[in-house]
Amino acid sequence: MNECDKCGSPDIIIKKKQSGQKLCSNCFIESTKKKVLKDIRRQNLIEKGDKVLLGLSGGKDSVMLLDILSTLKNRGIIDLVAVTIDEGIEGYREEGVELAIKNAEKYGVEHRVVSFKQYFGTTLDKIIQNNSLEVRRNACTYCGVFRRWIFNRVSKEVGATKIATGHNLDDETQSIVMSYLEGNIQNLTRIGPKSQSKSDKFTVKIKPLREIPEKEIGLYVIAKELDVHFAGCPYAGESFRAEIGTILKQLTVNHPTIMYSTLRGFDRIKPVLKKEFATESVFEVCEICGEPSAARLCKACSFLKQWENQD
Amino acid sequence: MKINVKVGNNEDTVTISGEKTIKDLLESMEIAAETVVVKKNDYIVIDEELLEDGDSIEVIQVIYGG
Ligand code: SF4
Ligand SMILES: [Zn+2]
Ligand SMILES: [Zn+2]
Repeated sequence: MNECDKCGSPDIIIKKKQSGQKLCSNCFIESTKKKVLKDIRRQNLIEKGDKVLLGLSGGKDSVMLLDILSTLKNRGIIDLVAVTIDEGIEGYREEGVELAIKNAEKYGVEHRVVSFKQYFGTTLDKIIQNNSLEVRRNACTYCGVFRRWIFNRVSKEVGATKIATGHNLDDETQSIVMSYLEGNIQNLTRIGPKSQSKSDKFTVKIKPLREIPEKEIGLYVIAKELDVHFAGCPYAGESFRAEIGTILKQLTVNHPTIMYSTLRGFDRIKPVLKKEFATESVFEVCEICGEPSAARLCKACSFLKQWENQD
Repeated sequence: MKINVKVGNNEDTVTISGEKTIKDLLESMEIAAETVVVKKNDYIVIDEELLEDGDSIEVIQVIYGG
């Protein structure tokens, strides 16, 4: 008989392939929330008195994280400010921004919408259209560099001590496998629940949903009837990450614990990787923008400068 | 038996025979079960839930890139 392992309700919404656990809607929501809060404590992601900047895209991951972090805010443990970045992706980002505004309001969380336009004078769409550099990266590379720049800058503007993002188990496993397949050991040394930088100009980044499978995040927001943006970014399909994501999801069909074991195994060898391979970057500030950078110019400024000189 | 299936904004009636589960239905529609949440008559159900005549099924795509 299928009934909830916790309360006995016959209306179960999940039968976990990894553990066989069966849960009803309420018990699934409660146990997932507890798991995330426990991960936050265990990994020491948040301390009492932190001001947490939450990257709120309006998608399922960030809205679920808002739902959970707002409980810490309501208990007076943290201060919370949500920040939505409008990269300028026509026909995609608008709805996410709208839902981010709605959700921040619903949870009574301070909210800022900032844009590539505002900080860099251009949009991701324009960057991709006009890019005539010889070495052209895919959209996600530029998007990521500029987003990280904005989050770090805004975190200092609002006095945030942590930057929280909604990266889930699938995202994290993709990063591990991608970096490994590309032989990018430097990247591997930087993957984890909490960023560790020698420079105090980088605000610490945390990933509280890192052990929650993407599918369960979808289930959580639907079970809780949260208002989220379900849609794909038009640039997502072209990335190596998307290819790896498809392969990994396919693998989980017959090997349901594969993402957990990839993450667990990685977390165990990470200290060794760090010890052997982490480079001691001498941190300086970017000559143009003043953000921390290992080189004379930060990545964002060096892209912008190259485009200035193009054609 | 006839089942009403809604995927995103597309609604359709499908006819199936024999004992079929949500999983069978998704497979026949070539939808990857790992990327969707399914509601039967407005309640979330698991893959092995059996279909009955007159059921209303909603397939919600929850995994996209971005
Ligand atoms: S999929 Fe790529 S381009 Fe689209 S929002 Fe994500 S990182 Fe940016
Ligand atoms: Zn229950
Ligand atoms: Zn710079």
